[in-house]
Parts: sequence; structure tokens; C-alpha cells
Amino acid sequence: MGRVSFKCRPVTRGLAEGEALVTRQPISFWGGLDPAAGVIIDKRHELYGKSVAGKVLIFPYAKGSVSATTVLLEAVRCNSAPVAIVSIEIDPVVAVAAFLAEKLYGKVIPIVDKPEINPLEAIKSGDLVRVDAVNGVVEVLRSQS
Amino acid sequence: MTGALYMYLTKEEEAVLNGERGEAAQIAMSVLVKLGEAYEADRMIKIQHAHIDAASYATIYEAGLQFCEKMVSAGALFKVPATINPSAIDFEAWRELRVPSEVTEKQIRLARAYIKMGVIPTWTCAPYQNGANIKYGQNVAWGESNAVFFANSVIGSRTNRFGDLLDVCAAIIGKVPRFGLYLSENRRGTMLFELQDLPVKKFTRSDYGALGFLIGSTAGTEVPVVVGIPRSVTVDQLKFFGAAAATGGPCALCHIVGVTPEARTLKAATRGEKFKDKVTIDLREFKEVKEKLSTTGDREPDLVAIGCPHCSVEELREIASYLEGRRVKRGVELWIFTSPSAKSLAREMGLLNAIEGAGGMLIAGSCPLYLPLSGWGFKVLITDSAKMAYYAPGLHNVDVVFKDTLSCLKAATTS
Repeated sequence: MGRVSFKCRPVTRGLAEGEALVTRQPISFWGGLDPAAGVIIDKRHELYGKSVAGKVLIFPYAKGSVSATTVLLEAVRCNSAPVAIVSIEIDPVVAVAAFLAEKLYGKVIPIVDKPEINPLEAIKSGDLVRVDAVNGVVEVLRSQS
Repeated sequence: MTGALYMYLTKEEEAVLNGERGEAAQIAMSVLVKLGEAYEADRMIKIQHAHIDAASYATIYEAGLQFCEKMVSAGALFKVPATINPSAIDFEAWRELRVPSEVTEKQIRLARAYIKMGVIPTWTCAPYQNGANIKYGQNVAWGESNAVFFANSVIGSRTNRFGDLLDVCAAIIGKVPRFGLYLSENRRGTMLFELQDLPVKKFTRSDYGALGFLIGSTAGTEVPVVVGIPRSVTVDQLKFFGAAAATGGPCALCHIVGVTPEARTLKAATRGEKFKDKVTIDLREFKEVKEKLSTTGDREPDLVAIGCPHCSVEELREIASYLEGRRVKRGVELWIFTSPSAKSLAREMGLLNAIEGAGGMLIAGSCPLYLPLSGWGFKVLITDSAKMAYYAPGLHNVDVVFKDTLSCLKAATTS
């Protein structure tokens, strides 16, 4: 079986590798993520208690408060942010966090969306994933199963 | 597959981007242009108003404060009228509310920065009830998910769901990239919701909240169209509905047929095209979502929190009238949240006296979700707001009971 690799739309430019953290549930970052610790605090979310820090975060879309931007930006400032984000559809509130992170802290978070296959099925938590948000390609380097 | 390099900029916009109009304008424009490139906007468009969501130290943290102070020192000034969301504190009652002085100090620094940029200091999440003068068909740039919903769905202005700090950039430039809900084709309703046997005519504001939550979470990124909401629905009911819809999902626009200016008829809501999906909501489903918004059964609350989004003067009048001749129970706090301008009217009307006389607190310009509550040790919060019921357990580590306003007031008081 060949390695899983699929095309996406790059929203920010950059390249990163990391362990995947996958959820089928949308995320409200404000009220859902503790930015200092990088941990999901929404008790109703399946990722409750899990850390997003240093992970490739894969989720369908962002919901809820538009303060998602500053929560993610603060997570970047605290070194608790995901290293890359893969979504079905990226909300501007998430994209802007990455633009500001680059401007304020010189840190790039590669973000891609509109994948040609469903990443929530193709990728499992724990897989090692490379996100190339220059060419718009996501690749699974090592699979759990 | 990106349209990245092809957004058209006027000579003036290019001059701003090149730093010829100062550093603050350059930073703001560069963020707006990046956003426009990512979303394949063809050009920038003027906005008439901004609502700043990045208002509270509790939502923008150190990173946001750094950004705002940097923009002020770089000479930032708002080009369009801009109202602002609640602060992390009540500027007059932070000591009583046991807010740590560190948070207060940071929040005051943030407030000073915004005043310098020219904000209208409304400190409210319901700008549409507190002096934001916007109208049908106008382009605006609003943050605060409930306000975004209201601007698009009730007033018929056009705004995307803009996040913290982008709202600041938009207010400085007075323009935004043209994409998303600024384009008519993206405002078309795509998912139909029909209500089966729901007693909507008897709905409380909280019932509207629960219905909104259900529709927002079911619709996801589609644009919902709802039939069956009576034209007699009040502004406050729509406020509860929208706040909850924008909590359950990313809902920025919902066509409420007969209410939304663009949806006088079902056909107008869809622009004559077919729905992608149709959903029927029945009584069983509605009751289920109401139950799920509580995290505990009928445990005695130690905090009764009302005013998410901020209470209107009409709501304050109703609450004050209930509290007449009643007392807040020992061991229970009754906190009612509103805007500074509504509080001032309430004072003049004698409503403040009635609320305080009963032992309640009328908190102005802040938010039950932004206030740091760790000094209180609350265990069970009761609220009439689906939005608060959803967020409070994660933010404040409390259990939540979701009930209508009257039940909340009953739980708070004895006669």
C-alpha cells in the first residue's frame, strides 16, 4: 500500500511535520482551548484533556466565538500551538491567527484546507504527517496501523 | 490553485501597503491583504462600521494586548465608527467582583489603547441594541459571533465572521477584502429547517436559544433557512436565538423567513435555487437539546447569571419587576449583565435600585464568561442563555443548569 498523500489549498505558506491529532467534531478555540497549556478544555469535546501543542491538528471546521484568533495567537506566543492545521474549510478567524503569528512572532503555522480527500478518514491520531502549505500537499509519513 | 497574487489594489491601497501612510496602517493593510489572497478576494471594499471583538483581556491575552499597544504607538486611528465588545471587568466594580489586580491593570491598559484609536466605548456584545447605527445592505466589519449573526440575519448588513484583531485592522483601514458574505451568491440559503409541532408562539427567550443552538450545530458551514418563526418574534428573542446558533456552529447568517430582510419569502432566501438539504425539527429533538445544555440535574446553584448576550433595558425592566419584594437567597449570587449605557438608563428608571435592593448585582460592560471567577469557588451556575451554558463549564470549571429567565430568578430568590 502506497503512502497516503493528497492535495489541499494552502492558506498560509510553510512546511511542518508532526504527530496528527484528528477529530470529526468542530472546535471552538475560545472556551475550548487553554492557550497557555495548549490543552482542550471543552468538556463536551472528544479531545477533552488532549494537548494540541506541537501536533498537526486535523478537524472539520472552527465554530463558536470569533476569539479563536487570539486564543491561537496566544498559544503561539506560549509555544503551545499546533505545528500545522488541516481542515475541510478554514474559517478566517483561524487563518488570521497564523498571519498575525508571523507578523508579531515570526512563527509560521502551515494551514491547508479544501482537501481532495477526507483527511478525517485518511489520517488517524498518532500518524506522522507532513503538511506542505507551499505546494498544497499533505502526506502521511508513518501510519499507526 | 490559489488566486493569491491577483487581488487588485488601488494606487492608494498600494501606498498604504508600502508604508507610505505610516506603520500602523501598513501592518493593518498587510493582514487584510493576506486574508484577501487566502480567500481569493478580487479587491478591497469600503466598510461603514466596525464592531471590535478584541475587547477583553480574557479573550485576547498578552498577545492581543501587545498587538494593540504596538498599533497605538505606531499611530493607529480608526477610520470608521467602531463599537466595542465587553471588557474582562466592570470598570467600576472590579474589586467587588474579586478580579485580580493584574487582570484589571491589563484591561485598563487595553481600554486606554482603544480610546486612543478612537473607539466608541460601548463595552457590549449587543452593539445592535446600544448605538451601532447600521442598516440593510451596508458593508460592515463585525466581530463577536452573536453580533455577526444579528447584523447579517436581522438587520441585513453584510459582514463576515471576523475574528479578534482583524476587526482592529479593518477599523483602521476602513476596508476589507471582498469575499464570503459580502458577495450575494454566498448569502443564498442552502439548508432548510422546518419546525414540527414546536409551540413557537409560547417560546421563551431561552427556548429560542435552544432552537438556535440546534440549528447552528446541525447546519455546520451551510447557510440555514428557517420557516415557522412568527413575525411577532422580539429583538431579544432573536438575540438569544442568534447567540446560540453562533455557538453551536460557525453560523454567521441564517435566513429566518419573514424576518430576515433578504428572506421575505422562502424563494427569496434561496434565490430560487434548490436546497442541498432539508431538516425537520420535532418536539422530541428540541427537548433533548434543551436537556443536553445542562451538565447537571436540579442541583442548587450558587451563581445565577443572566445577560448573555447583554440584557436590554426591556429585559432589565422585566427582571426588576420580578425582584420587587423578593430577596436573593443566602449563599447565592445573582449577577445580571448589561451595557454601561443600559445600566445608566436602568439607574434613571429605578430598576437598578430594585435589583440591588433585592441583593442582586447589575454588572456593566463585562461578561460572565470573561470575568475571572477563580476567587469565588462557584460550583453550579444557572443561566437562561444557551451560549453561556455551553461555554461556562470549560471556562469556569462549573456545572451548568439551563433554564428560562423566570426559573433562574426563582432559583435565586425567596419572597
